[in-house]
Amino acid sequence: MHALRKNSPLRRIVLASAATVSGMVLLLSLKPHSTPETALAVPAPSSSSGAGTSGGSSGGSSASGTRTVTGDTIQTRWGPVQVRITLKGGRLTEVTAVQYPTDNPRDQEINSFALPRLRSEALQAQSANIDTVSGATYTSDGYRQSLQSALDSAGG
Amino acid sequence: MTTTLAGGRAARRQTMRRIRPRRSPATVLLLAVFAGAVGVLWLWWMNTPSIADQNGKILNAGRITGLLAGYLMALVVLQMARVPALERRVGSDRVARWHAMSGRYTLCLVFAHVFLIMWGYALQAGKSLGDIVQQTIDSINQLPDMGKAAIGTGLFVLIGLTSIGPVRRRLPYDAWYHVHLLTYGAVFLTFWHQITTGNDFAVEPTAKTFWYALYGSVTALVIWYRILTPIRLNMRHHMRVEAVIEEAPGIVSVLIGGRKLHRMGAQAGQFFRWRFLAPGMRFSSHPYSLSAAPRPDMLRITVKAIGDHSARLRELTPGTRVWAEGPYGAMTAQRRSRGKVLLVAGGVGITPMRALFETLPGAAGDITLLYRANTTQDLALWDELAAIADDRGARLMYAVNSPDGERPDISAERLRQKLPDIDKHDVFMCGPAGFAQSVYEALRGAGVPARRIHHESFEM
Repeated sequence: MHALRKNSPLRRIVLASAATVSGMVLLLSLKPHSTPETALAVPAPSSSSGAGTSGGSSGGSSASGTRTVTGDTIQTRWGPVQVRITLKGGRLTEVTAVQYPTDNPRDQEINSFALPRLRSEALQAQSANIDTVSGATYTSDGYRQSLQSALDSAGG
Repeated sequence: MTTTLAGGRAARRQTMRRIRPRRSPATVLLLAVFAGAVGVLWLWWMNTPSIADQNGKILNAGRITGLLAGYLMALVVLQMARVPALERRVGSDRVARWHAMSGRYTLCLVFAHVFLIMWGYALQAGKSLGDIVQQTIDSINQLPDMGKAAIGTGLFVLIGLTSIGPVRRRLPYDAWYHVHLLTYGAVFLTFWHQITTGNDFAVEPTAKTFWYALYGSVTALVIWYRILTPIRLNMRHHMRVEAVIEEAPGIVSVLIGGRKLHRMGAQAGQFFRWRFLAPGMRFSSHPYSLSAAPRPDMLRITVKAIGDHSARLRELTPGTRVWAEGPYGAMTAQRRSRGKVLLVAGGVGITPMRALFETLPGAAGDITLLYRANTTQDLALWDELAAIADDRGARLMYAVNSPDGERPDISAERLRQKLPDIDKHDVFMCGPAGFAQSVYEALRGAGVPARRIHHESFEM
């Protein structure tokens, strides 16, 4: 384009903004709304064992049918995530996060809103089939997998 | 012209053998920039498994704008690193316009990034858009390197404000320039939070390495070409003012002596940024074109006294030390692709044209210079031009206002009438913006393709 060709700066500004905004909206809408891993029913502890995963352990069960099971430790990109579940009469009554990333203040901020939401989703769904909390993608992923492993060992 | 047809052809062949047009690398560079932007978006894409809800969209929009801003920021600085490939092949004026455009765009991305991320964080913390200020303060206090980033962003606001058209026109050039230098500080301060809080760099060591390499090489280029190269140039050539000559009312030539000046590699049509180490002048440098082909012992610039700086030039005393950076500029013989050349000068725009008029290879009749000024007294360097024209059989034309102040008619018809084969010419042009614009339109009307109109402008 020649420098002396007449072109209005306004047109250029409108074009640049429109291109940027529409490009971004397109990128954002192309992303799936939940992780593909959500469908992952069995986390296959063997494949993720070794460096990443420490085995889940069954806790004690009482006469009233209350059982506590600790899930696998899942290594996420921000740090390990591990949950402990409580089952009463086959129903999931409590999920506690035993380990979660706390390396920087931002992690703590994320955990403070993400963990309660993940817990209530899990209790509502009564399974590991829960949505990712936005802004806490990796923590959600780890949470889901650890929860699934706990449910698996409780069921098995 | 009375050369025979055969003689004309032989001469033309001779000339064409000496013309080696070099294409500007602009298109390739722009494609590379776009490829890099796609790479940055790809990085985001690979590190983002999913976006759950509205809040996720806001945060991810913030991440995309942040990544793009970080990428472009390095390039905006690179454009001002005085890299010879940009200055001499793309052209300093064009690169400066790219810098202005991409700088504005990048600042918009920075502000969008800050707003979107803080909005997203506020929503995550269960607050609303109204709490965005408090959220920003909290984030600055809690997150690593965010204090630095906040100061850097503050500097960007200042730099952006002083570069808005009306503000900039009211500011003295030096004030604007020194505020603009704060960009280096702002880029440095905002760099660290990208590495420590950026999702993509925390999880992708390769991306982090690439980011360090990008910013590291830009820093190296800036240090090399903006600091070390000028120091070396000036240590080697020891330039001093030899004489100041009045050429026409308000137009002076400054003769600059030094050692082995031909070794600087300057070509006709190029310019240097000059700094005269005299009281009141040492803190600013200004671009002035060479008004004659460089000689081993002498360079000459010709300047019209319009600004503060140029008015003070006439008071320079011989012996004053000169600090020069260059040569810069792409309006040289390399731009030429045809045997015939029309040079168009408006006012003091004659300076690079005068140098090209003398040195462009060409047989008799190949080179034409059209010189526009207000009156015949304003035709600076006229005697020299006439001598060159005589010497090499070039055509020299001038256009001045009529005695009652009427402007001369430079239209497509008039140009075609004077030069019937004008559409076979390369045109080099230098002059004030309005003049260049109207001549450009006349030339296009006369059938000269845009790619053969070569022009440099330093007004933005």
